[in-house]
Amino acid sequence: MEKNYIPELEQIVNPEDVITSFEERLTYSYDSTRLEYMPDVVVKVQTAEQVSRIMKLANDYKIPVTPRGAATGLSGGCLCVNGGISLVMVEMNKILDINPIDLLATVEAGVITENVGKAVEHLNLFYPPDPGSMKSSTIGGNIAENAGGLRGLKYGVTKDYVNSIEIVLPTGEIVNMGSNTVKAVTGYNLVDLICGSEGTLGIITKATLGLLPVPADRVSILAFFKDMTDAAKTVRDIVAEGVITATLEIVDKVTINAIEDFLKIGLDRTVGAMLLIEVDGQKGAVEIEADIVLKVCKSNNALSVREAKSAQERDKLWEARRAALSSLSRIRPSTILEDATVQRSKMVDLINAVNEIAQKYKMMIGTFGHAGDGNLHPTILTDLRIPEEAEKTEKVIEEIFKATIALGGTLSGEHGIGITKAQYLKLELSRPVYDLMGKIKSAFDPNNILNPEKMKCIWSA
Amino acid sequence: MESEVKIKSKKDKYKILEKSDDLYNCSRCGTCLAYCPIYKQTLNESFSPRGKMSLLEAINKGRLEYTDKISEKLFTCTTCNLCKGECPSGVKLDEMINVAKSDLIDAGKYPEVLDILKARIKQAYNITFDSNAGRFDWVKPLPESSPEKYVKKKADVVYFVGCVSSFSPRSFGIPRSIVQDLDSAKVDYTLLGEEEWCCGFPLINSGIKDVIGDLAKHNIEAVKSKNAKLLVLSCPSCYHTWKHEYQKYSDEKIDFEILHISQYLLRLIKEGKIKLNSLSGKVTYHDPCDLGRNSGIYEEPREVIKSIPGLDFVDLASNRKLSNCCGGGGNLESVNQALASKIALAKADEIISTGADIVVTSCQQCNRTIDSSLKKKKKETNTKIKVMDLPELVLQSVKGEEI
Repeated sequence: MEKNYIPELEQIVNPEDVITSFEERLTYSYDSTRLEYMPDVVVKVQTAEQVSRIMKLANDYKIPVTPRGAATGLSGGCLCVNGGISLVMVEMNKILDINPIDLLATVEAGVITENVGKAVEHLNLFYPPDPGSMKSSTIGGNIAENAGGLRGLKYGVTKDYVNSIEIVLPTGEIVNMGSNTVKAVTGYNLVDLICGSEGTLGIITKATLGLLPVPADRVSILAFFKDMTDAAKTVRDIVAEGVITATLEIVDKVTINAIEDFLKIGLDRTVGAMLLIEVDGQKGAVEIEADIVLKVCKSNNALSVREAKSAQERDKLWEARRAALSSLSRIRPSTILEDATVQRSKMVDLINAVNEIAQKYKMMIGTFGHAGDGNLHPTILTDLRIPEEAEKTEKVIEEIFKATIALGGTLSGEHGIGITKAQYLKLELSRPVYDLMGKIKSAFDPNNILNPEKMKCIWSA
Repeated sequence: MESEVKIKSKKDKYKILEKSDDLYNCSRCGTCLAYCPIYKQTLNESFSPRGKMSLLEAINKGRLEYTDKISEKLFTCTTCNLCKGECPSGVKLDEMINVAKSDLIDAGKYPEVLDILKARIKQAYNITFDSNAGRFDWVKPLPESSPEKYVKKKADVVYFVGCVSSFSPRSFGIPRSIVQDLDSAKVDYTLLGEEEWCCGFPLINSGIKDVIGDLAKHNIEAVKSKNAKLLVLSCPSCYHTWKHEYQKYSDEKIDFEILHISQYLLRLIKEGKIKLNSLSGKVTYHDPCDLGRNSGIYEEPREVIKSIPGLDFVDLASNRKLSNCCGGGGNLESVNQALASKIALAKADEIISTGADIVVTSCQQCNRTIDSSLKKKKKETNTKIKVMDLPELVLQSVKGEEI
């Protein structure tokens, strides 16, 4: 294929925003999966019009285009699997409007997630989705991957806060979808289709996001249990008692020990599980809910329970949970973070299944995650540079997925399918559903040039 | 043919080739993008810490040679080290970047300014082309300015002034305040005068390791010759180099205590030797990278400020280990002045948003950078914030003169 489209790209954006050197392209070849696919060219854009013209050009030349935010994704969503153009959105980072009456913020796609919250905190508002990478990740990437976070149980995920979007279709048209009204049933719910479409159906350039008032009060509770079963029962009972907590995080024994090795903060290494629970809401209501949580913890044989009300005390309680992933990642060179998700009631079964798989393959797996959502992060500690270990890791991942599906769960709660889970898609989706997804893709992208290979399952027996 | 052999033999020596495990540690999670001042200003991944690690890993695996472009990326760094502190995987980013700089020096691919810097230090023992005899010209306007007063044969304490404070008129206020602070506490101190040589930090920080041994040996001997029990430094980079690097490069044993001036001032205040009078105003404090993150000194400067009666202290939004670089670190100003200036302006915005009247720091470099950027902001924001170094603030309080 002739690549004389470079001069044309330089007509569309500033010539210095068309990056072709090997060294610089290499730094746009990866994301948090640590996989690498070299783009042929990296293009930084500043406007939706530029994106539109690039898509038209790409259709003319049949060049693959892969949008890229901060590349913090965990499923390979922004990797240029077939080369082509890496379309970098980070310079579209303006917060365009804040509307405190209707609780909305309109932002460009490259705005950093955390900055949305920072821009509205003076109005006593917040943007609830809080993916782990929120200090670096972009809103466009969050929408494309339908990112979750710690507050999913009570506050939902990214899609619950996307009112309307501006996207550039793979064929180059700039379109608006959704409505900034509280209710809207006009036409298909295309915004929800784009949320989580992993950049395969359109390039998000702008979004109007929902905001909420900051809860007046907040209490954090840290509880330790002899095993994961007691902790999981506690999770079940808290919700059954009618308390929807803002966060309900679980950490297993392997992870507790890893955290203690790393931080040396005096965690009891003999305990089997830790729960970190936060309730928020109106003053008074929070106290009542916190009391219920404390009672439920005790009735499920919690070994110890601590409560924190001030921001400083809360910060201390969160220290261990926050360090979970970094502590695990220091044990072995490769850290494979999965996000298998089941119903809350099946969480103990999934935890047991993961432990059995770990024993069967003699692999170290630390599990922590969003217990309230049944969204666990079994984290496989391995060294992918060693072929036997890589092979074993592959098998462990497949078994975790099979166990998850057998429990009625889903392959991915919040990280996406991308290329890392594409081959397992058929475990969960039926053939007709898969074919329908293919038809949707072709309807949007007849030349299959926008982020090809993502979420693609080769349907073979 | 010959050149090929030559390149190969050089390549074999590259120290980055031994760092496979360290480089593999970087998970490309992108946490560093939220912290790196260079990335935040350029939004260019190739300047980000993880981008640098990916380039170095490519060299480590033999996919890439050290090129001019890689040199540009690696030397575009303030060495503020915020990335390392916040890296969830514990990647030794500072060490990797420094090793790569050393390799780039060996490969002959480095900013020209380093040749000039090295030549200056080797010829004049300081970072300027001025004679080292000018080391204490800054004392001249002081009431008693005879060399004998400041450069004694023996003394309990040696004050190591550092090149910038010795030669840059803009920074003279710092050593002048320090000697007056020490005088007010009746400390028996001396300067090294001409025998003070550059500590070597600008060179080792740029990956040049062949001169530091001589500088360290000379400086250690110079302090020892004064029979001093204590060495005090005002430049955080000099302090860091003395405290944490010298014994790696010299066998000459350090048998005296080393303190940064902020630590020593606090000691003198606690011992009642420095008497503080009341001042008024709202004060914030900027943690210099080499003093805070890179040397672990966060609380002493704050305690000194808080021990001055009448001052209202407020921390910056990002403080202590999260302190943002002023833009003046890592020779960035000589590599990319425009970029350094952008980082400095971002710092100025953070300082202005505190509503403070005075921003205190304890580094002549930060002091200068922050002063310049606040001046640039003056038109737009009407800010009247004054920049002071910690010893200057202390002197003001000793004299009881309002700021």
